[in-house]
Amino acid sequence: MDQFLQHLVNAMVLGGAYALLGIGLTLIFGIMNVVNFTHGALYTFGAYAMFIASTALGLNFFVALPFSIVAGLALGAAIELTLLRPLRGADIDTTMLVMIGAGIILQSGTLWIFGGVAKAIPSPFPDAPLTLGSVSISWLRLFVLVAAAALIALAYAMINGTRLGRAMRATFQDSDAAALMGVNVRFIYTATFALGSSLAAAAGALLGPVYVVFPQMGDLAAVKAFAIVILGGLGSITGAALGGFILALAEEFGAGYVSSGYRDAMGFLIIIAVLLAKPTGLFARAERVG
Amino acid sequence: MTRYLPPAILVVLALLPLVLKDPYLLNALITGGIFTIGAISLNLLLGYTGQLSLGHIAFFGIGAYASALTTLGFDIGIFGDFRIVHEGWHPFAGFIVAILLSGACGYVVGRLSFRVRGAYFVIVTICFAEVVRLVALNWVELTQGPLALTAIPQMKIGFPGLGEITLRTKAQNYYLMLAVAALAYVVVARLVSSRFGRAMRGLKENEQLAISVGVNATRTLTVAAAISAAIAGAAGSIYAHYFRIIDPDVFLFTYTVTMVIMVVSGGKGALAGPVIGGLIFGTLPVALRPYMAPEAQWIVYGAVLIAILFLMPRGIAPYLDDWFASRRRAPARAPVAQPQLEGQP
Amino acid sequence: MPTYRIASIAALAMALLAGPAAAEDAIKIGVNQPLTGAFAASGSYVVNGAKIAADEINAKGGVLGKKIQLVVEDNKSNPTEAAAVAEKLITSDKTPVMMGAWGSSLTLAVLPKLEEYEIPMLVETSSSGKITTSGNPFVFRISPPSALEAEAFAPMVEKLGVKKVDFLVINNDWGRGAAVDFGKMLKGKGVQVGLTETMDAGAQDMSAQLAKIKGTDSDTLMITAAVDQLTLVFKQMAAMGVKKRVVTTGGSQNPDQILAQAGSAADKTMHLTTFLPWSPEKTPDPKATAYFLGEWKNRGYPFAGSTESFRGYDGIRTIAAAIEKAGSTDPKAIQKAFWDVSFIGLNGPIAFVKAGPEGKESGQSKPGVYLIEIADGAIGEVKL
Repeated sequence: MDQFLQHLVNAMVLGGAYALLGIGLTLIFGIMNVVNFTHGALYTFGAYAMFIASTALGLNFFVALPFSIVAGLALGAAIELTLLRPLRGADIDTTMLVMIGAGIILQSGTLWIFGGVAKAIPSPFPDAPLTLGSVSISWLRLFVLVAAAALIALAYAMINGTRLGRAMRATFQDSDAAALMGVNVRFIYTATFALGSSLAAAAGALLGPVYVVFPQMGDLAAVKAFAIVILGGLGSITGAALGGFILALAEEFGAGYVSSGYRDAMGFLIIIAVLLAKPTGLFARAERVG
Repeated sequence: MTRYLPPAILVVLALLPLVLKDPYLLNALITGGIFTIGAISLNLLLGYTGQLSLGHIAFFGIGAYASALTTLGFDIGIFGDFRIVHEGWHPFAGFIVAILLSGACGYVVGRLSFRVRGAYFVIVTICFAEVVRLVALNWVELTQGPLALTAIPQMKIGFPGLGEITLRTKAQNYYLMLAVAALAYVVVARLVSSRFGRAMRGLKENEQLAISVGVNATRTLTVAAAISAAIAGAAGSIYAHYFRIIDPDVFLFTYTVTMVIMVVSGGKGALAGPVIGGLIFGTLPVALRPYMAPEAQWIVYGAVLIAILFLMPRGIAPYLDDWFASRRRAPARAPVAQPQLEGQP
Repeated sequence: MPTYRIASIAALAMALLAGPAAAEDAIKIGVNQPLTGAFAASGSYVVNGAKIAADEINAKGGVLGKKIQLVVEDNKSNPTEAAAVAEKLITSDKTPVMMGAWGSSLTLAVLPKLEEYEIPMLVETSSSGKITTSGNPFVFRISPPSALEAEAFAPMVEKLGVKKVDFLVINNDWGRGAAVDFGKMLKGKGVQVGLTETMDAGAQDMSAQLAKIKGTDSDTLMITAAVDQLTLVFKQMAAMGVKKRVVTTGGSQNPDQILAQAGSAADKTMHLTTFLPWSPEKTPDPKATAYFLGEWKNRGYPFAGSTESFRGYDGIRTIAAAIEKAGSTDPKAIQKAFWDVSFIGLNGPIAFVKAGPEGKESGQSKPGVYLIEIADGAIGEVKL
């Protein structure tokens, strides 16, 4: 039972970060129909931004965090304006491959500038964990969970409560109709990509201090993000949030009770199973397939 | 016009070992060629049915493992004392088993995953490839896991009346690669110009319409997936017997990305596409190596990819087609654009 | 921040200079290492160590009256590329001897090329048993396979009072090999072996495995992983309150980096290592260690990297010694001369003994293995 609770707590923390990654990607995927292969690189970018801000720039941890998120927003906007806007209307495969190219450049550039040695981001929280009975959790991870939840709530409120959010949802449902209704679709695309990027950077900035920062850290994160998006259903924010937690639970309990060698396989198997049973994902509207 | 390019390329490539004696470059061509075979098979799915498989390396890897294990033999426990013991067979038998097993896997995966389309299909195939990689990594008794299968025998081919040849030299392996690549090309070319090919393209253009005129969507896609996987398995088999060692790293996602890059940059849905893309992205790393730092090589690789897609979003082969067509028409002063179905060579 | 950029530009400049600047009749040594991809950091360290050795040897007049020249190529942490790089070094650059290729899967991919072209290679890092036992007479290894490490650890088991051990290992040949070899040794000593948990090479979150390990009655956890993952494991163990004796294996730990990044979470952890840079006076050749560490510092590399880079340094020195003994740059002669190499490396005597099937033996050197402990922010050798 003790072990069960510890697994559960671990999964909650991991799930928060997964959800953040998934929401950013599902926005881009759902609204722009772009398979964003720079998502992992943006996650890495957020972590390095956090590293620079809190070491070289000497910023306070809680100032460095929003700094990194804004940096991710800016990089996302830049990628959209230079690489995606000129390719509007191109095939999904073409934009995906351009994103793969951009991802290769970002990752290799990071390696070139910082070298491959992992960096650590100092954390302002005490090293000693919070212990409740037999369950322990570090203060930093607890903060990550809370911050992730806050960011998810913020993104949710923005999309459901603001003019911009309404325009984004309209574009998601029918971009032509939205354009006819006076929505500036070009701006919506840029805003969507920048917002999704900032959420990926936020996940990197939050997890950077928990783990270590290195150029390839985004590879695994990107694959997981894709999995989460599909699990939850394209373009569904609620789905991505829940998908993140479902994946984390599957991995955690799969590794705990089945075999740690198949830890990552658990998540993938669940996704295959879900898609075969309910091809549109758990929480999506059925008409949006593909 | 680009349909005449591959035979011309084939002739040039077939003559190449006569002048090119540098084993390093031959090795690069063999490696690039093996992945080009994979790209040709991927083009069948991506180019002609419009379904993007990002797990294509799974079939390549299954072929490599099937071929290696058929040749090396294995001894695994199933339930309790029940064991499956297999003595090593001839490498050519491994090649055949690789094709059959990969094809069968392609059929099953297609059967299951063609319930979904588009982005969902992309993710299902990624997940499938990851699961296969993890099985290869963790089923140590069969695959040796990360300890790798080593000392895989070189490919042997028997010719009637000539006896048997063990492919030891670069040139021999080069011709094997070239022969399989040519065969794969012909199979795909025949297939897409058949009734079956029209059904595939119909599904790509307008699935509802194709179904309404009697195309069995699931069956068509599944068969295409099986054939595509079988060709990828053949490429994997050549890889295993050429490098003579495989470990779960053959399932690296980078390899899938390489194949997709070859297909899309060359021109998906054009027969010559993967060949052109394979030539460019198979030799680019070799060409860049002497001139710059390793990180810079990757940056240039990415930049070349983006540049090609910006200049020619449909890929190089369709662009060349247009160019040839416009040159032919220009003297006759016939500026009427011929309607051209997208994706047709 | 700027120091990283300067270091990388300096490295680039050196790489460019190393190529065309060499004299016509320099002796070429191929270096096949991962400089991009998953193992970029470690591979770069090994290359930097190798360059120190080459510069030192050349400053002293070179080998056989000629300068040596390193031909460094990136294998992209990818086995297919590792084989291609070997092919290039052998056939285009005509290197008569090579060093490589860091990871075991990379090295294994190169082995058939050695047989094909009959070129000897010095293996500086890989630990897979298969490298020296598959009957490849062109392989000479200075890093210890895990069986050798386990053997060296055997006398310490009782003194530490180890009763039951769990394993947490990276899921590759290195980690799995360590679990098997150490497990065998421990059982022979009457120690119980409990769980063997694995983690993927790129995994960052090991909490599930640790939660499982937390619940067992073992007193010791043996971990095999590279430094980044070790750091994460220690942090996560502290966060979950896992309290067991920890011994890491593999000699790739960079205790300084662990100390800097894991902080108090790394306290009281023990590490089996092959090199003691933090107390140079205790190494087998204090003068050489001091020189190497001084040069390492002069070139602006982080101290923590020295536990990785010394293998590149020793590897090139071993190769140079073999060329000197061979009296020529003929690959066959160098291959033969490896058997006669005998000098004191930074971590003990380097001399090759036969390993693998008779008639086609590979060479294996037996380096020293030390147990060190991180205690109260300092690193020291464990006195038993």
